[in-house]
Amino acid sequence: MSFKAYRRLFGTVRRKYPINRDQEKSLPIFQYGVSNESYQRLYAWGNIQTGALGIPFIRQNESVDKVSCLRHPKRVTFGEKHNVTAVACGYGFTVFGVENDEHKLFGSGLNTDSQIGHHEINEGKPLSILFYPKPIHLSLKNSTSKILKLSAGRAHCMALTDEGVYLQGNNSYGQCGRKILENEDYLASSYVNHIPNVDGKKICDVQCGQDHSLLLTEDGAVYSCGWGADGQTGQGHYNNLEVFTQVGGDIANEKIIELSCRADFVLARNDKGEVFGWGNTEYSQLGPDIEEQQVCNPTYIKSLKSFGKITSIASGGSFCLILNENGDVFSWGFGILGMGPSVEHSKVPLPIPKTLFGKNDFQPSSEVVKVACGTSHSAAITNSGDLYTWGRNSNACLGLGHDKDQYFPFKVSMGASVTQVFCGVDHTVVLSKPFI
Amino acid sequence: MVPLQLTLAILKPHVLKNPVATEKIKYVILQSEFKIVKLKTTTISLKKAQEFYGEHKGKFFYKRLLSFMTSGPSEVMIMAKRDAISHWRQLMGPTKVYKAQFEAPNSIRGMFGLSDTQNAAHGSDSPESAKREIGIFFPEFNYDKWFKEDEMHFRNNDVHFVPSLFIHQINNKTI
Repeated sequence: MSFKAYRRLFGTVRRKYPINRDQEKSLPIFQYGVSNESYQRLYAWGNIQTGALGIPFIRQNESVDKVSCLRHPKRVTFGEKHNVTAVACGYGFTVFGVENDEHKLFGSGLNTDSQIGHHEINEGKPLSILFYPKPIHLSLKNSTSKILKLSAGRAHCMALTDEGVYLQGNNSYGQCGRKILENEDYLASSYVNHIPNVDGKKICDVQCGQDHSLLLTEDGAVYSCGWGADGQTGQGHYNNLEVFTQVGGDIANEKIIELSCRADFVLARNDKGEVFGWGNTEYSQLGPDIEEQQVCNPTYIKSLKSFGKITSIASGGSFCLILNENGDVFSWGFGILGMGPSVEHSKVPLPIPKTLFGKNDFQPSSEVVKVACGTSHSAAITNSGDLYTWGRNSNACLGLGHDKDQYFPFKVSMGASVTQVFCGVDHTVVLSKPFI
Repeated sequence: MVPLQLTLAILKPHVLKNPVATEKIKYVILQSEFKIVKLKTTTISLKKAQEFYGEHKGKFFYKRLLSFMTSGPSEVMIMAKRDAISHWRQLMGPTKVYKAQFEAPNSIRGMFGLSDTQNAAHGSDSPESAKREIGIFFPEFNYDKWFKEDEMHFRNNDVHFVPSLFIHQINNKTI
């Protein structure tokens, strides 16, 4: 039946509730939820047994054998309840810096050295392991002070705030910047060392090695303390250091702006994009010219001269990773460097092809903007917010869905755009923005 | 019958700070049918460490090894098994952790080592050095007497395991 025939039979359609065209304009239009500007999603993966991921799970004592790890990125519920702005991953523990909360610092994971503060449920029985982030009390004078940067080592952590640096945890090498006490019991310790400034200068960055600590002041000077048996304090000697002391060597007159250290070798970058290194150089991290296995004076790395201005550095246990201004990533040292199908030892920096970081005909503008690494795995973030990981996959810390070693960069499948990545020894935590 | 062998094993300070790693290593030790004759948790003094690592004196890693070993409590064990020395070294894997994690990823050092210094565990390399090392940490332990009197019980599995002390004790023997 045609429309005309219909109208002839039944006349015009009469609505029971006629549409008011004017009122229709004022009706609300459904808006899809757009996330808050400051909202950051927290993802974590890797070894879950130490509690470092902040994702609670029930430990089964009978089946220690069954290694339980998260192979895929998982959202941390703690990140939904608190506004997390800074994260640091250590050996089996993670610390979270939080805004808009009564407590500014939270920690989860191993706590045998009180690296995430003193916690107890039953009196006299301090908890040596935490499975959910718990607040750490910092004696901040001003309630509006913020956590600016966090860093975590093997068993100590540093928190940079507006009021200076707070250090807690193991101090057996002096890495907390205080006197080494013999047979100190770290388990039940709630002592937090507060350093407001060094030599009257404001502190602007902190970096923890495995058992040493580094500070960067606003004028570009580096201060160090802690374990120096490999020369990782850069003081020209191999002794432990209890007080933060300025590092000399080649960086004495340089303005350093970035430090990187995950184990015993330190990389430092100055404002001109030149890179310096010191510490354990058993795997030729200082390039082919230097044969020594321990270097206790900061040394300029000559082999990077031809790569232009360096914009990001990362130093792992036995290898190093840099990014230059053209977006090229280079790696050298020993381990899975990201080029090939095997474990390599290279004294000269080798380029990782850009195509492995997603630069192809469909994404011609994809560039790496930041590199990071754990002790034996590496990560890179691109300008489109993609995360690529490669290296040793201990406890599935690469988040690729399997636990085999990955010999070239591979994209992590994740429903968010990554802004920062933090690598521990066997876990990884990511801060990211949702797509909408 | 082939007699048992004794070896000295040390779980190094950073492993003792990680309950997950300690638990797993001890589980592996029991699964591999090692018998634990003695166990002691102690912070190694500098003097003992110097005596213990005397053979490495002068090498570049000597200083960092000493400062690491004296940095916190370690667990020292005397373990017995047939060919205990080679079995324990096989379980531990290569000395250098950065290499061990690729060459022997399922060994103790491959799994729980952090760096070439912090390599999780120590084991004697020969029966002579086992005797010397046991003498340093357990001066009260009589090496020859153990082989004369107790070795037979351990060999015939005439022992029971005490989980609270993590040692094996000879049945019907009061200590």
